[in-house]
Amino acid sequence: MKMEEMSLSGLDNSKLEAIAQEIYADLVEDSCLGFCFEVHRAVKCGYFFLDDTDPDSMKDFEIVDQPGLDIFGQVFNQWKSKECVCPNCSRSIAASRFAPHLEKCLGMGRNSSRIANRRIANSNNMNKSESDQEDNDDINDNDWSYGSEKKAKKRKSDKNPNSPRRSKSLKHKNGELSNSDPFKYSNSTGISYETLGPEELRSLLTTQCGVISEHTKKMCTRSLRCPQHTDEQRRAVRNFFLGPSAVLPEVESSLDNDSFDMTDGQALISRLQWDGSSDLSPSDSGSSKTSENQGWGLGTNSSESRKTKKKKSHLSLVGTASGLGSTKKKKPKPPAPTPGIYDDIN
Amino acid sequence: MCKDYVYDKDIEQIAKEEQGEALKLQASTSTEVSHQQCSVPGLGEKYPTWETTKPELELLGLNPRRRRIASSFTIGLRGLINLGNTCFMNCIVQALTHTPILRDFFLSDRHRCEMPSPELCLVCEMSSLFRELYSGNPSPHVPYKLLHLVWIHARHLAGYRQQDAHEFLIAALDVLHRHCKGDDVGKVANNPNHCNCIIDQIFTGGLQSDVTCQACHGVSTTIDPCWDISLDVPGSCTSFWPMSPGRESSVNGESHIPGITTLTDCLRRFTRPEHLGSSAKIKCGGCQSYQESTKQLTMKKLPVVACFHFKRFEHSAKQRRKITTYISFPLELDMTPFMASSKESRMNGQLQLPTNSGNNENKYSLFAVVNHQGTLESGHYTSFIRHHRDQWFKCDDAVITKASIKDVLDSEGYLLFYHKQVLEHESEKVKEMNTQAY
Repeated sequence: MKMEEMSLSGLDNSKLEAIAQEIYADLVEDSCLGFCFEVHRAVKCGYFFLDDTDPDSMKDFEIVDQPGLDIFGQVFNQWKSKECVCPNCSRSIAASRFAPHLEKCLGMGRNSSRIANRRIANSNNMNKSESDQEDNDDINDNDWSYGSEKKAKKRKSDKNPNSPRRSKSLKHKNGELSNSDPFKYSNSTGISYETLGPEELRSLLTTQCGVISEHTKKMCTRSLRCPQHTDEQRRAVRNFFLGPSAVLPEVESSLDNDSFDMTDGQALISRLQWDGSSDLSPSDSGSSKTSENQGWGLGTNSSESRKTKKKKSHLSLVGTASGLGSTKKKKPKPPAPTPGIYDDIN
Repeated sequence: MCKDYVYDKDIEQIAKEEQGEALKLQASTSTEVSHQQCSVPGLGEKYPTWETTKPELELLGLNPRRRRIASSFTIGLRGLINLGNTCFMNCIVQALTHTPILRDFFLSDRHRCEMPSPELCLVCEMSSLFRELYSGNPSPHVPYKLLHLVWIHARHLAGYRQQDAHEFLIAALDVLHRHCKGDDVGKVANNPNHCNCIIDQIFTGGLQSDVTCQACHGVSTTIDPCWDISLDVPGSCTSFWPMSPGRESSVNGESHIPGITTLTDCLRRFTRPEHLGSSAKIKCGGCQSYQESTKQLTMKKLPVVACFHFKRFEHSAKQRRKITTYISFPLELDMTPFMASSKESRMNGQLQLPTNSGNNENKYSLFAVVNHQGTLESGHYTSFIRHHRDQWFKCDDAVITKASIKDVLDSEGYLLFYHKQVLEHESEKVKEMNTQAY
């Protein structure tokens, strides 16, 4: 377009039209040409149609919008088994428990400093004689609880695993078992079954999952319906410890109900004609201790009949459970005794 | 002679090389760092568009399956496993990974790590997160590495407990900003306020504080960088919430129902002139004495992404509680009335209504909402994120479901994320991304 000095007033309409047209064409070209060249180039070089999506892919990645399903068409809440590897200790941890694990792993938790201090104290005592170890036992006695089972386990592993002293100290603590702080209880990562006496094991298995983790070799302390382990696994553990007669406590219907049905327990006890004192009340938190003192002998290795064993394991459930029921608010309701017991008794 | 435009390979190659040389020259001699036309800092290299070679074309032809980020596709959406009370972290991750400009930055692989140990770099982890979330994998991602890194770099957040999402956002942005050293185009070493990292370019706004002396009317102005705006909400026992009569409705297209507070109301309150009172006298430079004064906050520089935080958790001496007052917030927000430049009209008590002019500089679009359900002690965070222009999704840890705009706008709102509609040209790095958000 020439840059001429023109006076627009002297021109007729057609000339004005032409000028306007030229300006218009220029503007359109300016705005489109760049884009046109791009497309032309893309077509010529062959990459223009490259990013068109194929119908198969479209179906694969389509968003699902139905109730009960997420956008991928998956059912909710199926991700309990996800695991990850801790960057600090390189262990495989369940994803939903990674944060509490990491806290302890990095030494940031509430108990971590205590645990660390005890380890230091223990390593100092390692060189001392047997008698000193006994002193250690007593010093640490008052702090026994499942929340600090880690430190206790460490302490025990320092000693002779077959020491009779160990099971004795455990027996004294049976009563405290049911009194242990429920929050610490739920925070612990597991229990080392090697350190437990047989009667303790039994009562434990009636209220907890108990499945032994492959990685930590400890028993799971979560509820009997803990989602991390299957019923199959739980049966296997009970089989292993208590013999083939061990029954997995039924929990399906009763878990959400926090109240413990005292009348059932009492009726059962009276029907079974307990040898011991009749002053056992469900609210007695020391009931598990009582049962022991009555010579139920859950801890002995006597070759009892199959029937008796089953009966006893359930009674200990009742005993312990009643203790638990009174002191804990958040424990799931222990299972009601199954009809199987009644059959055996009669 | 076909009279068509032709593209000769050899000539193009030569052209590319020469262009590269020219840019390198430009980079090294340029004193104005912000005008650098390069995306790789210091190297003077331009990121060219990928153009396929013949063998690549053949390969692509043989493999026609494509995975695209397009609407009605799940690509770009993925759940996050809760690692144990980490829902607050999951929501912030969802918001950040759906920030359009941040998404473009990371998906085009623009992070150059200069940390001594890259496995400890949070920006690298962020980059990896984007890859995971945009992979199209339907199984939720386990962000355990992210948690670990955050705990290492932000010690005050470390620990297994419920935490505040806003606190996490600020801490995460801070660590990302610190680790972004490798991407700086020209950080002036002595002046941290001039950092040019991607975090600062996107999130940092300038909050102007004007203190006016009541005696001599001299104004003392300071501008502080800010990453978010924390707003008081009505119902807290410490705040005074004046509802001036006859105020304009629908300043920002919010459905104005009498009695319902809007985001605009909160912003108006935030930017109102406040008399400081006789117990808080300021030393005036003009009068050389302590005088009563008024203080006013306005936005001097608007960030590309504006984050609004409702102060719903009250920790006063009287009580600790959560304020659940519903606050209505809009899909589109115009920040013009709250700018420093609009101050004069504010002085008269008027709120300058945004005109329907073509000035889109201060217009924002909502793209993420983080909500909290429960009490101060114990609760759960979920988020709504926007994917493409008008699709919203609810992110509840591992479960992503489709949501309606109504769901989003009816939700309580704790953290609101707005993205500028049109990006300005002030920063070359930002411009180069060629992003048009929605």
